[in-house]
Amino acid sequence: MSREFSVGFDGITLSGTGAVTLVFVNPAAAPKPNLEFLRMWVSQSAAATSAQQRVEVETQVTAFPTLTTATPRALKPADTNASFIVGGTAGAAGTCGTNASAEGAGAKTVMFGDNFNVLNGYLWVATPRETVVMPAGLASGIGLYLPTAPSIALTNWAAGMNFGEV
Amino acid sequence: MTAFNFDKDILSGIIGGARYERQNKTENDVEIPPAFIITDSDGAAWTIGTEYVMHNGEYEWNVLRNDVDTGEMAKRIVYRRGVVCIFGHYGWKRFSRSRRHFI
Repeated sequence: MSREFSVGFDGITLSGTGAVTLVFVNPAAAPKPNLEFLRMWVSQSAAATSAQQRVEVETQVTAFPTLTTATPRALKPADTNASFIVGGTAGAAGTCGTNASAEGAGAKTVMFGDNFNVLNGYLWVATPRETVVMPAGLASGIGLYLPTAPSIALTNWAAGMNFGEV
Repeated sequence: MTAFNFDKDILSGIIGGARYERQNKTENDVEIPPAFIITDSDGAAWTIGTEYVMHNGEYEWNVLRNDVDTGEMAKRIVYRRGVVCIFGHYGWKRFSRSRRHFI
């Protein structure tokens, strides 16, 4: 049975004034587990003004974004095993981070994009056949990305990804 | 968690321990997913949790109100004409006026 972890943040002021990678996870080298992404979300609690916002799930090759380190939290607290993914600031293989301060020069490839109202937030959950699997050793990481800066306050944003190690 | 705002007209709820403030309740027919949050007229914040069951190849997740599990599983949460409705393998249910359970 796979083990599930969550990586993200809440109550954070977004780093950039432009496009920003909210969460970035880069699978570790084989033979470490593949990562199966089950859920992603974005929301904010600062602004009460309706506004539309673009969001993308994209992959990115090196050079990766510069991130705030974030450690995956086990969704099963009784599971004492830590994730094979560790917190990191460089987006390197086997690391994850949040709230990029620089996007890095690596090419981004959009997997899918969507739009949401900032009052309602954005939640992506996969049906069993729609889960995103990032195999171990892949040269790309996966990012939850705002391709345009929010037109509302950058304070008190939350975002995250849940993934399983399979 | 954000600082407490002493405004009696602000609707405030909680998801994942974070406080969500809104001036207005959510508009009609907003649906989770793909929305992340529904704010009802009480200010309660609704979303789906991470526990799930599968019916006919589709997931149903636990329904959370202000981070409290309602004991219901649903494929969708919809805000319809001021009432929080959930949809699952059982069909539609509506949140009761007593704010205690779905019927």
